Amino acid sequence: MSMETILETQDLTKQLGGKKVVDGVNLTIGRGDIYGFLGPNGAGKTTTIRMLLGLAKPTAGTIRLFGKDIRKERIAILRKVGSLVEYPSYYGHLTAVENLEAVRRLLDVPKARIAEVLSIVRLTKDANRAVKGFSLGMKQRLGIATALLGNPELLVLDEPTNGLDPAGIQEIRELIKSLPRTNGVTILISSHLLSEVEQMANRVGIIAKGRLIYEDSIGRLREQAQGRIRLGVSDPEAAWRMLLAHGYPVGWENGVLTATQTDNRVVAGIVARLVQSNFAVYRVEEESASLESIFLTMTGTEGSL
Amino acid sequence: MLLRILSAEFLKIRRKWLWLLVAAGPLGVVALQAVNFGVRYDYLVAGKPAEVVWNSLIGDVALLALPAMLMGLAIVASMTAGIEHQMNAWKLTLALPVSKRQVFAGKFLLTVLLLLVACALLVPLTAGLGSMLGFSGPVPWGHLAAAAFYPFLAAMPFVALQTWLSVTMANQALPLTIGIVGMIVTLFAGIRLPDWVPYKWPQLAGGSDDPLYAVAAGLGLGIVVFAVGLTEFVRKDAR
Repeated sequence: MSMETILETQDLTKQLGGKKVVDGVNLTIGRGDIYGFLGPNGAGKTTTIRMLLGLAKPTAGTIRLFGKDIRKERIAILRKVGSLVEYPSYYGHLTAVENLEAVRRLLDVPKARIAEVLSIVRLTKDANRAVKGFSLGMKQRLGIATALLGNPELLVLDEPTNGLDPAGIQEIRELIKSLPRTNGVTILISSHLLSEVEQMANRVGIIAKGRLIYEDSIGRLREQAQGRIRLGVSDPEAAWRMLLAHGYPVGWENGVLTATQTDNRVVAGIVARLVQSNFAVYRVEEESASLESIFLTMTGTEGSL
Repeated sequence: MLLRILSAEFLKIRRKWLWLLVAAGPLGVVALQAVNFGVRYDYLVAGKPAEVVWNSLIGDVALLALPAMLMGLAIVASMTAGIEHQMNAWKLTLALPVSKRQVFAGKFLLTVLLLLVACALLVPLTAGLGSMLGFSGPVPWGHLAAAAFYPFLAAMPFVALQTWLSVTMANQALPLTIGIVGMIVTLFAGIRLPDWVPYKWPQLAGGSDDPLYAVAAGLGLGIVVFAVGLTEFVRKDAR
């Protein structure tokens, strides 16, 4: 991989009460990625993220961020990381500004940064209200502001839309999309809904029952989800070679030809070419799968959602 | 870094009434003694030499201050830790670039400083009461300060223990119960316990001929309990 890797786990495992809640996970996140970390509830997302932040210790495996081992250089690593873990953490009796100030004193960033992050998450108007009176969406936004306070290179957002109503989800999604990414901030965002991250992520990792079952670009995942044309023909292997020779991008699997380009002209061209070359065309059928259904099939939660 | 942690800690206790509690302890103790000495003025004060009346005032203040301090330390430790437990804020702090040791030390020091303020308040308040009651002679500042601070220093193992329990447990019922039981033990059984039992030290530091033994023992064991609590806090996964 040519891109700089900023987060890498190897065989990351966490055992809780005799059960492996995270089991041999190998994550790779490159600089500038928006990495969607997906999986159903209870799959091990939060436990993984807690280990990435040094909040929990792995039972086995290693975590390297920015090329450093979290066990040895936790503080140096965390200086470059901003995070929001699970449900929001805040001091309800303090105002939004005071909440940020309590964190600012530990990070040692200029005071002006508080107003900046408040304006990014659009809480400037409510800056001096006690946080216990905030809606859940506002608390999440404050959490994101807190995560941004230290100008992090890596932003870790664990289920930032959990528990929000559709308007709140939309709001947080817009907010994350609008985050200033000029200095190449890398974002790790976890969710149990693919639809939530597919519009912003460029890479996805899917975890189910503690194991990472998929990790690739969102484009690859989308390819799997795209409709395909399946063609049943006589002598498929010969037909496949012939079509490739004529420049048609077709695949061949289980005795069927497959084409991922599904527009009418391409399909018509393929069929015409097959007929001209004396192949019998038995059937031409469209196969389609939504991204969501692929995700559900992968995670084995089709029935439960 | 520890200073920055402490400054954040002091910010977090805003509007938590902790300062009021810190002031209420010594104020309450001195107010009760004001009533005591006011009502029994003829018996306690009239016609006695200044040294005797100052000694009896300081002794009586120390007698009431002991349970107030022991109870106060459990409540203060519980409240400062409770700020984090209440809204799951441990993970917020512990995912920041700060050492876990210093986070724990910060909570302990915050509790110690608040209680020191309470002890310090006893000194001017008691001196003021003495003057108001018309005690003649110079205020025995040394004796007064010893009576205010020694029992607290000797109670350091309990400050460390309560910090540890309150920080470790989300439910504050157990730490508070242990703190209150400790106060009762010190108060009522303390005198019958052998000198080596830590529960007796705050009393020894207040009254014995050689209070500095109890103070030194308290500080020593306090450091040990603090170190054990710290080690456990660092080892454990954050909530």
